[in-house]
Amino acid sequence: MKSMVIGGIILIVALMAGTYFVAGDAFQSDDYINSLTMLGALAIIVITVFTVLKYVNQIKNDTASGELADENWDGIGEYTNPIPSGWGLIFIGSIIWMLWYFFVGYPTNQFSQIGQYNEEVLENNAKFKAAWENPTDETLVAMGESVFLVQCAPCHGVDAEGIAGKAQDLTHRMSKEQVLDVIKNGSQGLGYPMGAMPPMMAQGADAEAIATYVAGGLKGEAPASFAACSSCHGADGKGMNGMAPNLVDYDNTLMSKVLENGKKSSIGEMPSFKGRLNETQEKALTSFLNSIKAGE
Amino acid sequence: MFHWLEQKPFFFAVVLFLTIAFAGIIEVIPDFAKQSQPTVGTKPYTTLELAGRHVYIKDSCNACHSQLIRPFKSETDRYGMYSLSGEYAYDRPFLWGSKRTGPDLMRVGNYRTTDWHENHMMNPASVVPGTVMPAYPHMFTNIADIETAYAEAYTVKAVFGVPYDAEGMPKLGTLEEAQADAMAQAKLIAADMKNQSVKDAVANGQVPEIVALIAYLNSLK
Amino acid sequence: MQSNAQLEYDYSIVKAFTFTTILFGIIGMLVGVILAFQLAFPELSNLAGEYGTFGRLRPLHTNGVAFGFTLSGIFATWYYVGQRVLKMSLNESKFLMTVAKLHFALYFITILLAVVTLILGITTSKEYAELEWPLDLLVVVWWVLWGVAMFGMIGMRRERTIYVSIWYFMSSFLAVAMLYLFNNMEVPTALVSGYGSVMHSVSMYAGTNDALVQWWYGHNAVAFVFTTPIIGMIYYFLPKESGQNVFSYKLSVLAFWGLMFVYLWAGGHHLIYSTVPDWMQTMGSVMSVVLILPSWGSAINMLLTMKGEWQQLQTSPLIKFMILASTFYMLSTIEGPIQAIKSVNAIAHFTDWIPGHVHDGVLGWVGFMTMAALFHMAPRIFKREIYSKSLMETQFWIQTVAIVLYFTSMWIAGITQGMMWRAYDEYGSLLYSFIDTVTVLQPYYTIRAVGGLLYLVGFFMFAYNIYKTATSGRVLDKEPVNASPMAS
Ligand code: HEC
Ligand code: HEC
Ligand code: HEC
Ligand code: HEM
Ligand code: HEM
Ligand SMILES: [Ca+2]
Ligand SMILES: [Ca+2]
Ligand SMILES: [Cu+2]
Repeated sequence: MKSMVIGGIILIVALMAGTYFVAGDAFQSDDYINSLTMLGALAIIVITVFTVLKYVNQIKNDTASGELADENWDGIGEYTNPIPSGWGLIFIGSIIWMLWYFFVGYPTNQFSQIGQYNEEVLENNAKFKAAWENPTDETLVAMGESVFLVQCAPCHGVDAEGIAGKAQDLTHRMSKEQVLDVIKNGSQGLGYPMGAMPPMMAQGADAEAIATYVAGGLKGEAPASFAACSSCHGADGKGMNGMAPNLVDYDNTLMSKVLENGKKSSIGEMPSFKGRLNETQEKALTSFLNSIKAGE
Repeated sequence: MFHWLEQKPFFFAVVLFLTIAFAGIIEVIPDFAKQSQPTVGTKPYTTLELAGRHVYIKDSCNACHSQLIRPFKSETDRYGMYSLSGEYAYDRPFLWGSKRTGPDLMRVGNYRTTDWHENHMMNPASVVPGTVMPAYPHMFTNIADIETAYAEAYTVKAVFGVPYDAEGMPKLGTLEEAQADAMAQAKLIAADMKNQSVKDAVANGQVPEIVALIAYLNSLK
Repeated sequence: MQSNAQLEYDYSIVKAFTFTTILFGIIGMLVGVILAFQLAFPELSNLAGEYGTFGRLRPLHTNGVAFGFTLSGIFATWYYVGQRVLKMSLNESKFLMTVAKLHFALYFITILLAVVTLILGITTSKEYAELEWPLDLLVVVWWVLWGVAMFGMIGMRRERTIYVSIWYFMSSFLAVAMLYLFNNMEVPTALVSGYGSVMHSVSMYAGTNDALVQWWYGHNAVAFVFTTPIIGMIYYFLPKESGQNVFSYKLSVLAFWGLMFVYLWAGGHHLIYSTVPDWMQTMGSVMSVVLILPSWGSAINMLLTMKGEWQQLQTSPLIKFMILASTFYMLSTIEGPIQAIKSVNAIAHFTDWIPGHVHDGVLGWVGFMTMAALFHMAPRIFKREIYSKSLMETQFWIQTVAIVLYFTSMWIAGITQGMMWRAYDEYGSLLYSFIDTVTVLQPYYTIRAVGGLLYLVGFFMFAYNIYKTATSGRVLDKEPVNASPMAS
């Protein structure tokens, strides 16, 4: 018996420790749901082990006794023993708990899960207000990374390189093929004040030269033909304060326009994230993308 | 003792049945009285989307994917607005699922796109390394059953009054009309896809399962 | 027939259902093991084209073990226990014999058809009610046949009072009949429209209503397939095998009626935080917790029946199976209620902790009890000694280890996953992408798969032992009264 008790305790401790060890990273003790779950898990195993041990003890040490009822089925008889009093008391206790839960814990006429949700959101927003109010650059980069990994990585990949051409490679502003594609087919849908970009802005060697220049990050001497672009994107290619996309860097304007409207090109289509991220998170994404720019 | 009931087994069965049926009467029936009303903007599925839904059911995607966003911030941040009863008014059967081996798909149409699904369904691990989702290359060659989808739409319209053909609602019409509409919707989707055999099939008037499935996934918003 | 003449029970139907219990047990559990390995090593999902994917196979597993393995076990034990505690023999009535044979034949055909249609992807998607309408009709037919056999046998009984086991079998018959009918209300679309596949149907209910009916059914399908008939079994086989009297008739009565009254209300615990009205969810939670007591009542009654019989527990592997079955029954019937509490369900729902809870029950309780029942019946229906006691003992330990591996790994996996889904970082963004919460489970999926494989190995040992008992066990000249004779 002693060894069984010890065995039971070892099982309980091992299970709880194992759970805590593995779920530890995700365990946040300020989330009461986590704490209640751990408590519940503990209750399951402790109550079961000790109740069973109690009866095993009786199997070991007691003897069967009682008055037999008259009936007998295929050799099976039944004692008329009274019900175990502990069982009866806990049964009544559980009914009392039931009434409490139904009328006090989650009162039928008052509790609403949507109300509970609204409270949770308010509480959450209050808690992170500080992080969102005046974030430092480092905070923004870190925040951006965490948003990116959850929301964007399924398409752009955890390394943001676009999973072998399945989405935009975000470690570069644009590739040469992409620029050529835009020059040929134009671009639309982002909602810049300049509206849509018309197709066929340049051709042949001109287009090639422009594309090489833009894809190269607009460094060095601009080819003469780039004049066709600077009327909208500015001589420096930075988009004239948000009139057209910045071709040099990912900036906040581009980010918020892409997230608002989504984007579709020869690579594929990016969905809109309208209403899913707050302003700070959008800014954070820009900072993050600029922090991972390749080759610089 | 109180063996008297156990000596009348047929009466015992009646008492037993009433005890069992009691809860159902109180808990289930009232909800039937007030059929869940569709929320504003909820529409029945088009024939193509229904065909896609049948593919989803055939391959039991609901074994791994839920379609029920619970009202917790962690879920609304991940999947979007929590679910409302009326949004399911045209879901027969409901597809809430009971296990999230994969993510919830209730609003996947909001944050994934045709080409992404195309890549993902062909080979999930090529898009999301470490995933446990099976690849579904057979969906690119199997042809979707538009006729059965039409049969279902026709049935729910006739039997349950689902408002096909009503103002602002999807058109159903005759089988031929429905097939033509499905083809038109399929062409739009195939245009955003890259797989050549799928494009060819659609050009030849056939709808591969993947096209119907994507139509369905895109409709989940 | 003279009432004091020795009755010759007819075991032909029992043998037929014993055979299908083993057959479908092997199929269903093999598929379960495949599923478990697929989650640990996903490449395995694509070895058999569209027919081998996880989604296709999962309903095959659940239907195979619930409606193949477990139901077969229930029917086998019903025709055995029923005859004996009612003191009547099937061969006394040509009519009932025919009904029982038809019951078996139609049942067998249905399950075979279920296997084929599910592999082909013909399913309605509602859990534990996946079969399409033509199969549903078949199910209704043989369910009614079972009822006819049951009440026919009760009508012919020589024992005035019906025994506890009969109450439980009766409750399964009545409850499943009601639930199955309501949850499978569907309209065949080809009949209405004249177009499309004949096999296809559409549910009578939509959305939230459909969910409500489904889980009213689903929860109680668990109750009346995985629980009540198994209690019926233990109430017969444990006292019979051990030769002890049931500890308390009063406890039997109270636990029975308590269970019957409370069980049906608890289905709401599958819909917590869903779009069904709040009060129904709360009702599901509270009734689940109250349910602990009537559930434990039966288990305690059985444990106390063994008072003073430590010796038997040590020496008989058959008693070991049954005592551990009660223990796992107690574990899953306190785990379930705790998972039904709103705050705990917020984490547990949708995670692997639920399959963990499920398998505590099905492997430890349903599986162990069914196999114990078959072991007890084997020497009586084949009139031979059990082939090997040491094989049985080995099987017991292998499968016990298997269950512990299954349940500890899924317990940890589920809680980990549930907490990861909710975790926020210091900036108020979700801490983990979904795929992080999948890859972290790989080791636990592997442990579970190994556990499952061990359980299957144990089941093969069981099948072999029964097969050898039937074919080459030492012949018995008279039926053993209690303890089943086994060769070492
Ligand atoms: C379902 C897939 C998908 C998701 C999710 C996604 N993207 Fe994209 N994204 C794309 C594709 C495809 C492109 C290329 C489209 C194009 O250039 O027109 C793209 C392009 C972009 C671009 C470049 C746009 C431009 O003008 O060149 C940026 C910036 C971007 N994504 C940022 C993000 C961020 C930040 C997130 C997450 C909050 C995100 N994406 C989520 C698919 C996705
Ligand atoms: C009429 C004004 C105009 C001219 C001229 C113009 N663009 Fe644009 N460009 C735009 C606007 C507006 C957009 C954003 C369109 C949208 O997607 O909504 C844009 C988008 C782009 C993009 C895509 C940016 C992205 O993030 O995906 C590239 C690349 C580009 N332009 C390059 C060029 C080049 C190279 C030239 C010259 C050959 C040029 N543009 C000429 C207005 C112009
Ligand atoms: C074995 C389990 C499993 C099955 C079966 C399964 N999936 Fe998945 N699914 C996953 C997992 C895990 C992920 C997350 C990783 C990923 O994106 O691949 C996922 C992701 C997805 C996503 C992306 C959702 C998102 O938010 O990123 C879609 C869409 C999807 N699955 C659709 C389907 C469809 C349609 C089917 C059935 C034809 C299906 N899945 C079958 C496990 C599964
Ligand atoms: C007091 C008794 C029990 C209660 C209150 C209970 C409660 C629960 C709860 C809360 C869930 C999870 C629902 C979810 O969040 O998805 C569940 C699932 C489940 N339980 Fe139990 N449980 C009990 C006993 C059992 C037993 C004894 C078995 C089997 C032998 C069992 C089999 C199952 C199954 C199969 C599921 C999965 C249902 C699904 O497919 O989602 N339960 N149970
Ligand atoms: C050989 C042992 C077994 C193994 C390895 C096994 C494995 C599995 C796996 C991998 C799943 C899917 C879980 C998921 O979707 O994440 C599952 C589900 C299930 N199994 Fe088993 N299983 C075994 C035996 C059994 C037995 C004997 C029964 C019943 C008597 C059973 C009943 C179920 C049920 C009801 C479900 C559905 C659970 C749910 O939906 O939550 N299993 N099993
Ligand atoms: Ca389930
Ligand atoms: Ca059905
Ligand atoms: Cu339940």
